[in-house]
Amino acid sequence: MKTLTLGIVLGLGLMSGTAFAASAWTGGDDLPTSPLACDGTPAAATAKPYDGGEPTGAPDRMGKKITVVDIPKLIGIGYFNATSKGIADAAAELGNVDAKTDGPTKANIDEQITFIDNYITSGVDGILFAANDPVAIAPVLKKALSKGINVVGYDANSTPDARQWFVNQAEFNGIGKSLIDNMAKEIGEEGAFAIVTSTFTTPNQARWIAEMAAYAASCHPKMKWLETVEAQEDNNLSFNQATTLINKYGDELKGIFGMTSVATPASAEAVTQAGKCGTIAVVGLATPNAMKPYVEKDCVKSVVLWNPVDLGYAAMHVLRAVADGSLKAGATSVKAGKLGELQVINGSEILLGAPYTFTKDSIGDFDF
Amino acid sequence: MTAGLLKRHETILAGLTVLALIVLALLSDKFFTAENLLNQGRLMSEVGLVALAMTFIIVTGGIDLSVGSILGLTAILLGVFWQNAGMPLPLAMAAALACGTLAGLGNGLIVTRFRVPPLIATLATLALYRGLAEGISQARSVRGYPEWFFYFGQGELLGVPFQLWILGLATSVSAVILGMTPFGRATYAVGANETAARFSGIRANATKLWIYSAAGFLSALAAVVFVSRVTTTRSDMGTGLELDVITGVVLGGTSIFGGRGTIVGTALGLILIQALKNGLALSGVKGDGTIVVIGIVLIGAILAGAVFDKNRGG
Repeated sequence: MKTLTLGIVLGLGLMSGTAFAASAWTGGDDLPTSPLACDGTPAAATAKPYDGGEPTGAPDRMGKKITVVDIPKLIGIGYFNATSKGIADAAAELGNVDAKTDGPTKANIDEQITFIDNYITSGVDGILFAANDPVAIAPVLKKALSKGINVVGYDANSTPDARQWFVNQAEFNGIGKSLIDNMAKEIGEEGAFAIVTSTFTTPNQARWIAEMAAYAASCHPKMKWLETVEAQEDNNLSFNQATTLINKYGDELKGIFGMTSVATPASAEAVTQAGKCGTIAVVGLATPNAMKPYVEKDCVKSVVLWNPVDLGYAAMHVLRAVADGSLKAGATSVKAGKLGELQVINGSEILLGAPYTFTKDSIGDFDF
Repeated sequence: MTAGLLKRHETILAGLTVLALIVLALLSDKFFTAENLLNQGRLMSEVGLVALAMTFIIVTGGIDLSVGSILGLTAILLGVFWQNAGMPLPLAMAAALACGTLAGLGNGLIVTRFRVPPLIATLATLALYRGLAEGISQARSVRGYPEWFFYFGQGELLGVPFQLWILGLATSVSAVILGMTPFGRATYAVGANETAARFSGIRANATKLWIYSAAGFLSALAAVVFVSRVTTTRSDMGTGLELDVITGVVLGGTSIFGGRGTIVGTALGLILIQALKNGLALSGVKGDGTIVVIGIVLIGAILAGAVFDKNRGG
């Protein structure tokens, strides 16, 4: 019996061993990449027909008061508090929208699906979402469309036909370039770095890492990627993972990328506590408030992000425009209140704008 | 310890469930509709399937924390067998179910052969199986399953979600096995007093091996249903499932010290939790508030059970 158990363990171990045939950086996805030019020349936009879905039998909601529920990946973190604020701001400004935010307290696909399912039953007019998994969320969103509910995504997309529009905070290749360029500037062309991400399967992070790998390969080929580690979106775990990286690689490690708004400040804290400020650079995606202490102490020089309040604000305006019927398939732009005209890209996505790098000079101007 | 007292917890629970259903129906007119109730049945099927086996395990005085990880591992194996190994999907499903059963058997062997307490053994395999899932999947999702496969998780048979038939069948079979067969009596005997059970000629180890293997099998079955419902495979599937499952079983009156518990109780416990989650959401309570209410109900139900039965623990 002992040998049988051993056999099972060995067998499973071997299976996982062969599966680890490493290709590009761990944590990227398999989708094709489109790295931007090294000097930032914008790529020619390719026209693509509308590929979003349509609600069936949606009532005429033009100008009428609508109930909207916003279901982010999870609630209770700074980033989604900010998008939620943007949604509430836009709803107040529009005056004919009753919007609320609800969702799981952990980024869990199953719980998020259950939340959406319950709101479909309760009979809302519109759903805003940020998907924990693009494919897993699709069946329940299609169900919402089939009940005549307007569905708009932001932050993290679903498969296109499961929603009407998606508000894209920044294109993946733009973020990839911005992160790698900033890191190259801080640690030099031959520096080695590691990545702290949420999980290897989270769609945004996986996409960014794939784009970063592609861009680094063509524009900063001598930079050395060491490892990608998972830290969920958990503060403690992110700190521990970053500390482990610092101890594991010692002087070789010159930089850490934080891929989530939780991982970046936690990595900065790990670097601070290890006394490595100035020798290990932290570059990442994060909200300014969380990063202010580290930026002011010169421990972190560049924080890359878009404005999540604007993202929520734009998503709410897009949903209202869809419900009113003023944003239809084939449109090339949409009016989003104080943000002005936003461009339609990739068929059924609306681009918020170029990513923004917060530095010591500018970070004080932001409060979210 | 008498049958009358045992019945009592289920009676209280049934009363509580009916009360909850009435209150929730009054709070929201969207709650007590056939469509919503059937849909809730669909959503609770995976937890329900695993909870059946967990009832047996807890009745023997054990616990299995690795069920969520087995679900994740078998989901990944299903995808890998089908997409990477090129097996036909039905064969991949059978192979995934077999692997899940083996994973459960592995738990059983560690518990019986090496005398490791189930809590520690399955805490270890919780990490082991999840790690294998992440390693084997290379963190890639498997997608693009054929349309017919979605029937298990999204289809309907005679107007009832397909997985609810599976759950109903599995519940009936489990209830009969635990309540009416020599195997069921052996399960209770092992949980009440393992030494006495051994001296009475009950093959305690064999009983446990069967039960842990069944837990692996049902976790794998839940994985197939889950993958079919959400149309994709991820290595983090089923994370935290063990807690939902154990909550339902314990709320159902199964003693964490072993020796008692019923399938009916587990079913009632699961229905009560699902009804609360859904009904409160429909009546406008936000997610964080719902969790608080469930915690209070859990404590209340267990206290009520303890008041009526002074011997009851856990």
